[in-house]
Amino acid sequence: MGVVNEAPAAFRSSTDRLGAIDLIRTAITDVWSRRRLIGYMVRADVKKRGVDTVLGNVWWVLDPLITMLIYVLVMTVIFQRSTPDFPLFLLSAMVPFKWFTQTIGSSTGAITGKEGLIKQILFPKIILPVTLTLSQIVSFLFGFGVLLFVWFFAYHDHVTWMVVWVPLIAVVQYVFVLGITFIVSAVTVFYRDVGIVIGHFMRLLFWVSPILWSFMEVAGRGRRLQQGLEGIERSFGLPEGVLFAILSYNPVSLLLESYRKVIYGELGTVDVVDETGEVVEKLAWFPATMPDFGILAVIFATGIVITIIGTIVFKRLEPAFAKIL
Amino acid sequence: MADGQRIERPGEIEETVDSRLDDRLDDEALATIAEAEHEAPHPDEFGLRVAAPVGEMAIRAQNLGIRYNLNFTKKTKLRTTFATLLDPRRRNKGHFWALRGVDFTVNRGEAVGIIGPNGSGKSTMLLALAGIVQPSEGVVEVNGHVSTLLSLQAGFDSELSGRENIALAGALMGIDHKVMQEITPGIIKFANIGAFIDAPMKTYSSGMRARVGFSIATAVDPDILLLDEVLQTGDNKFKQKSRRRIAEVLQTAKAVVMVTHDMSWITAFCTRAILLDKGRIVAEGDPEEIADMHEQDAERRKKQKRKAKQLIKHGKVDVVDLRKARKTGTLGELLEGNEDAAAELEQVSQDRKKAKAAAATDASGAQEPPRSGS
Repeated sequence: MGVVNEAPAAFRSSTDRLGAIDLIRTAITDVWSRRRLIGYMVRADVKKRGVDTVLGNVWWVLDPLITMLIYVLVMTVIFQRSTPDFPLFLLSAMVPFKWFTQTIGSSTGAITGKEGLIKQILFPKIILPVTLTLSQIVSFLFGFGVLLFVWFFAYHDHVTWMVVWVPLIAVVQYVFVLGITFIVSAVTVFYRDVGIVIGHFMRLLFWVSPILWSFMEVAGRGRRLQQGLEGIERSFGLPEGVLFAILSYNPVSLLLESYRKVIYGELGTVDVVDETGEVVEKLAWFPATMPDFGILAVIFATGIVITIIGTIVFKRLEPAFAKIL
Repeated sequence: MADGQRIERPGEIEETVDSRLDDRLDDEALATIAEAEHEAPHPDEFGLRVAAPVGEMAIRAQNLGIRYNLNFTKKTKLRTTFATLLDPRRRNKGHFWALRGVDFTVNRGEAVGIIGPNGSGKSTMLLALAGIVQPSEGVVEVNGHVSTLLSLQAGFDSELSGRENIALAGALMGIDHKVMQEITPGIIKFANIGAFIDAPMKTYSSGMRARVGFSIATAVDPDILLLDEVLQTGDNKFKQKSRRRIAEVLQTAKAVVMVTHDMSWITAFCTRAILLDKGRIVAEGDPEEIADMHEQDAERRKKQKRKAKQLIKHGKVDVVDLRKARKTGTLGELLEGNEDAAAELEQVSQDRKKAKAAAATDASGAQEPPRSGS
């Protein structure tokens, strides 16, 4: 046939199921050979989002700004927080966190929302979560644009060349998220409950991740967080330090801290002599430094492992999609 | 995400859109349609057609079986899974074989019609041939590019325009961008929905969606065309037009498999027909004979259903004990292999049970217990 066609010209389906290595190999060729389709679908998805609102794509810029304003209002006016340059402090972690939650949150519908397509045309289903993660990058870029604008024009003191490390951190985050979206999108087909559970998990994650607060800050101020957590650990009979370790060494926290480190800088305390002549600790920020590459490498490696596992899980479950949907 | 979620609208509005379109069609003169029909892009005009070597294998199914796991359906909840884990009695609602032990071959140049009563596995068969559903046993081999026209409207994205959906469908089927650009004008012309082609698909009537879907599926020059109840939708004009188009495709396409309830399609277009019942091939051969056989079957089923209903009506069988009655006696014989009727009667039985229960609760408070039919 003279026509260039990206779909296979012949296939044989049987009860044979591929092994793990072959599953990964077919997943890679599936995505690569249908890259044009992925491009189409990403464009369609991006175009589609916001067509039903009056302001349309303007919301992509307004959304992070409004969210930021709300939290700034709550934290500085109501809770009297004294974090220096709080809006930038908040935005530098919130924008990447939003990317994370929106990608995983919407992955629950990556397969279930495409029921019509899946039952009508034979195509490698793995391109659906891939499409979703790519189209979420677009929203992230808009949010990040807002962040950069605020950073450059409103907080010029914080501007350093360290911002060039942001793409690297973003790549690490993308790899880390990709495998999770494979698993979530495939499992949701079998259990629709996953979407609800994920929603609550994300809400919890928002509060336990250093978005409104920072570990430096908490640990630097009399280690109150650690003490509080130790209390909880004691009452539940958990080994000492477990909760603090979970909170501070979870990949999401580490990623968010990395973003903040290269954009906002580091939060710490300085001793200041106040009017009464007493020495008091005061929160202050220190200029941006390089991210911890060791930590990023570990998260990247974890992400690769999750992606491999996710691909196998997804490809194993894929044959059942059309039957269950 | 709005994909597949057709926006439900009152039929009224849909009618208006359709009739508006029809009005315009009338206004724009039937000559346009006639011209469009005349100029309906003949597959050869795309310049892609490679003559099919007749006789070569296009589709082969060997001992094909498709099993559905009833423990996992759209409505499965985590709770039910935990419940089945804890309670062994609830374990394994079991499996359902939609197809079993199916063997057949479709050669290039053949058009095969699949017929059978509701729930006989026709649609599952097409899903299996398209590779969308994988066999639970046996093998399906397909030699050539497949175009599926399974459920026309379902695959479209409601937020995108018709034109964008055409491009997307092309990419989904893996058709080269240049080829797609070449054939898109033909698709749009054949669909003949006017300015709607650039409006979001959520504004389309179901007939308009069907037109676009049909135009795509028949224009992409497949080696193998799979059709499921192709012409359920659309007005008569379009039906006529698409009938002609199918005839053209059939003449040049390498292999066609169609599922339909409309026997005129089977006898007019198919070179062979397969009669399915309860997931197995019952008969295979000359379309006329098979269609006759199917129609006699259907007639017999109808008669049995009527007879069973009469039995119940005249009180010869206690519907409340339908389950028992089905196992023995006349009703059981009548309903043998007639799942439709059985399900319907089951419903009647359930309803009566409910009515009885309701009457019983009413009776406790009423002075005069209502006794119907006494």
